[in-house]
Amino acid sequence: MSNSITTFVLQGLLLITGLVIATDESLSNTETKDINDQKFRTIDTGIQFPYEERLNVRPLPHNHLLSSFEFQMNSEPFFPSDSSSNFDKYDHYTIFPKAIEPLLRRTDVRQLHLRFTRGFWDSEEWGRLPHDGFKSGGSGVELWALIEGNSKKDAYKKWKSLANSLSGSFCASINFIDLSKTNYPVFSFNPQERENEGIPLFNSTNNLYLMHASLANEPICTENLTPLLKLLPSKGKSGISSLLDGHKLFDSIWHNMAIDITTQCVNDDSYSNSGECFYEMEANVDVVAHIPSILARNKNPIPKPLGGDDLHCDLSKPYDAYQCFPSPETSEISFSLSDIFGKNISGSNDLSFTHSRICASISENWLATIKVDDGLFGTDDNCFDLTENRNYDIYMESGSSNKVARNDDVPIYVSRSLTGYGQDHGGLRTVFSNPTLEPVRLSYYESLPWFMRIYLSTLKMEVTSDIYQNLTFNDIVESQYYMPAIDRKRSTQLEFIMTIPANCTISLTYEFDKALLHFTEYPPDANHGFEIESLIITILESAPYQLRTATLLLYLSTPDFSMPYNVIIISSTIMGLIFGTLYNLITKRMVTMDEAEKILATRSIKYKVMMLKQRILSKLGF
Amino acid sequence: MGLLTNLHRKVIAMGLVPKFLKQLPKVAKLLMLISLIMIAIIPMDGQYRRTYISENALMPSQAYSYFRESEWNIVRGYRSQIEEFFKNNVTAQERNLEVESWLQDFGIKTSIYHNEVHQDTLYGILHTPRGDGTEAIVLSIPWYNGDGEFNVGGAALGIGLLRYFSRWPVWSKNIIIVFSENPRDSLRAWVEAYHTSLDLTGGSIEAAINIDYASNSDFLDYVEIYYDGLNGELPNLDLLNVAIKITQHEGMKVSLNGQPKDTIDDNGYFPRLRTMLLGIRDSTFAGVKKTHGNEAFSGWRIQAVTLKACGDEGNIDITTFGRVPEAIFRAVNNLLEKFHQSFFFYLILAPKNFVSISSYLPSAVIISVVYATFSLDALVNTPFGSPIFFNKESLVSLVILSITLVASYLLSQLFIYATKPELLIGFNILLTLIPFLIKKPLSFFIEPLTYRIRVFGYLYMSLALTSLLVINFPLAFMMGILSFPMTLVQTEQSKVLSNKSTALKNMLCITLSNPFISILIISNIVDSELQYLDVFYGLISAWKDLSCWTWFVICIGWFPAWLLITMSTVRSSRVNTVNTSKKQQ
Repeated sequence: MSNSITTFVLQGLLLITGLVIATDESLSNTETKDINDQKFRTIDTGIQFPYEERLNVRPLPHNHLLSSFEFQMNSEPFFPSDSSSNFDKYDHYTIFPKAIEPLLRRTDVRQLHLRFTRGFWDSEEWGRLPHDGFKSGGSGVELWALIEGNSKKDAYKKWKSLANSLSGSFCASINFIDLSKTNYPVFSFNPQERENEGIPLFNSTNNLYLMHASLANEPICTENLTPLLKLLPSKGKSGISSLLDGHKLFDSIWHNMAIDITTQCVNDDSYSNSGECFYEMEANVDVVAHIPSILARNKNPIPKPLGGDDLHCDLSKPYDAYQCFPSPETSEISFSLSDIFGKNISGSNDLSFTHSRICASISENWLATIKVDDGLFGTDDNCFDLTENRNYDIYMESGSSNKVARNDDVPIYVSRSLTGYGQDHGGLRTVFSNPTLEPVRLSYYESLPWFMRIYLSTLKMEVTSDIYQNLTFNDIVESQYYMPAIDRKRSTQLEFIMTIPANCTISLTYEFDKALLHFTEYPPDANHGFEIESLIITILESAPYQLRTATLLLYLSTPDFSMPYNVIIISSTIMGLIFGTLYNLITKRMVTMDEAEKILATRSIKYKVMMLKQRILSKLGF
Repeated sequence: MGLLTNLHRKVIAMGLVPKFLKQLPKVAKLLMLISLIMIAIIPMDGQYRRTYISENALMPSQAYSYFRESEWNIVRGYRSQIEEFFKNNVTAQERNLEVESWLQDFGIKTSIYHNEVHQDTLYGILHTPRGDGTEAIVLSIPWYNGDGEFNVGGAALGIGLLRYFSRWPVWSKNIIIVFSENPRDSLRAWVEAYHTSLDLTGGSIEAAINIDYASNSDFLDYVEIYYDGLNGELPNLDLLNVAIKITQHEGMKVSLNGQPKDTIDDNGYFPRLRTMLLGIRDSTFAGVKKTHGNEAFSGWRIQAVTLKACGDEGNIDITTFGRVPEAIFRAVNNLLEKFHQSFFFYLILAPKNFVSISSYLPSAVIISVVYATFSLDALVNTPFGSPIFFNKESLVSLVILSITLVASYLLSQLFIYATKPELLIGFNILLTLIPFLIKKPLSFFIEPLTYRIRVFGYLYMSLALTSLLVINFPLAFMMGILSFPMTLVQTEQSKVLSNKSTALKNMLCITLSNPFISILIISNIVDSELQYLDVFYGLISAWKDLSCWTWFVICIGWFPAWLLITMSTVRSSRVNTVNTSKKQQ
């Protein structure tokens, strides 16, 4: 609490005076100088911070619209060499979220990547994913991080702590990441890049550990968006982030939220720990909406049948008051961003070096204009800076909406499906289809839960193209990495580096057994099945690209959970019967039938009454 | 314990056990009667239950269905184009390509599954915004229905529905539309390919709704719902209940198990009994008789029903019929887990009445006990004194049983490759005559052996029924009843020889309990669809096209037992005349 008050007061002071006390004039690196220089560049509104935000809207075929929000911010510089016991040291967070920085320091995270993705990206129609797929995850939540630690165990401990903290911050079940869900990728997630970038080690005796986990069955919803907005300096109140609203964002065909944090150090020698470092954070929100359905829903939230006059009939086919063959979707379209997001943009952000910027990536037959209060303005490059504190909106229209600025085609299509019949075993089938005229070299990263016991011996490759009929598995796979699962402790990790020949479709299949879980290991919705996380494909050469397949739903044999009680009842009965019989045998005397009859005869009531009568009579002297 | 001890002593004292053993055939016949009575009392008031929706999430008909008004125009628009296909004799390939382009117009990912044997199947996936793409619901429309009629109304309705579905944002499971050429082998081939080799898939299929509306009329009279799966499988009762409830909610009458329209409303003991028995019949011959589409999805934990619009005159319009799949899809869409709450084994007595497995299973168990009892009878009640089970005759019988098993298996396989029902029946009539034709006692066929063969024959039958009755009650029940005449066969040679009528009775019983003859007779009596020798072609086609095991159950479960019993009636030599150590096969 006191910390945040201090920050607030400090910020206030800085704003009032418009001055910043340079912390260290002897900085050698130019980049940091730039940052600091910029920080000094004050304008009338006040102090500026290393923050940028940008919105890119891109119409996609079939009247879809992709909106990509990008937010970028840097933390205050810090010196890793400063010991925390240094009494001069203070932590100062300006625009960098205070929830994140201490967490990064505590867990020694050098890189953090968090993804919340849901929906279906139609790569056949829409082409490449935004940011070449490097900013989107598989369905659900995906987390990977580069953590500095003196051992794998130490790094895992920090990873666990990181996961638990993020779970709290983002209201997601990230805390369910445990040993059995954590993997250490070998080929994927670009280890080369790591070397080139020179990710700093704060302690040269330590190592960096890359850990990855995903939670495929995590539903993504408003409670994940709100924390993300809270991380932004504008808190979703001004600038382009004011467009983001849970109701509209999650009512989309595909949406993705990403957070990437990297540590940047200015020292040439990244292994000495004297240099100045800062954290760079990027937050991305991408969303694809189908414009006609959103416009229709704005008119009427329920997609009721249209009135007879509103039907668009195909005029080349018979139509009258009774029949109507629907015409293909209209290509005339006009809408504004406020239709799509339900809100106007409230002003610019006043914190950054640059103004909030909105760009429309459109072809000639589209028109994009900005609406400032009530006036409409256009620009040559279809980019608009939000300079003032007014209400903005973007208006777009087209007479032939299917002609869009074409995204580059995807270098490869990959799909995966479960095969097989029955509860005890199954198979996985992955289809790689390379539509291009160039061979594609890629890395394949697959993590499977331990209860899918795969048999690599059953791995088979099938080629559909005639030219490549003689291709074998060894021809396309240049290296492979396989980490077998350990029950409840480790998942299977399967990685390949492979090359898919040009214009070729290859399918890989292998089989697996389904393990039985312990009674208590089933989740509350046991009969839902278990989600298998996406397969991650990274194109390694020419144009890097990353894609993920859809998640899968695996059924394990699920007990009827009332059964244990039946079992308890039946086994108790049987035990009771056995006990009774044994007890009888032990406590009773064994006699022959004749003896038994004699004994019985002396025991009957009639006999006793007779005896009693005799005794009484004898007492009386008869 | 004391009470039981007393009772035990009394029983022994009165010598009841030997008396009881002497009366085993009567006991067995009594058990058979009890079993039939147990089935017969199920439709009585108080014995059955009202259906209910067990899974709360389903909430059938709780959301208002909007497939009405101008959607009708669109359905008619599609229908007029589909009618053109039929009028102009458009090839299946062209038809599929044309419909594929219609589906693509509203954003469906389509693909055509090519199969040279079972014809091509067009299918499309509507990727829905609310789900994670791991689950799917199937709307299946065979181009030609089970009767071979062009499913013009169904196809138009299916496309119209899918177009309408694509405008709704509520779907949490992918929606797959499938146009197969027929509801039998080509649909089954597609379902199989979906689980093995298709490249375009939309997650695991939770439920499948088949639409059959082979008319270009705008109206219909009532709806038939088909639900039988193969090999005794049934869809979860929840799905069937949802379908029935929604259909009735939309104001249509529901006919189950092919009840004619005028008997739909009847509710009384006999109508219920009739519906139940028809259900047992349909389930026994599921896959063997004509299929409606739901059978093709049987297995893979897919729950499937077929909605068939009947009559092209009536006051129900096509969009009302379309609101049934709409509401079923809305209900299934609500599910978070797979269907698991309600019953998977049940008998339906009326659209809203059912009995669960616990009510009818005991009667099948009793039938299998009947055969075990006869087996015991053949063991203890012989003219040859004390029964010792582990003797040479048992071993020989076991060898004979193994041989008959192998022979039955070979016969079943041979018949699949050369499906000649006339030959099969002729061969079996020949087999039934063998005991009659052999006039001279076979030297190795000594009488204790014939009794032991009987023991194994009944025991095998009992075993086959027991292992079948939980998974496929209707088939086990039918088999148990139809093969009952084999228990009436006499073995004792002196009697058979002495009495002409006994010999005739023997032959009649053997003929009636022959699996093939019996199936032939019963199929001709109870099922108008299976006339003359159809049942055999149906059995083979069911195995080849749908992987339905009924043929093998009959061949390997029933036929060996029958062979053993028939063998036991072959004229044999008396024990005192032949050296028993002679023959070992």
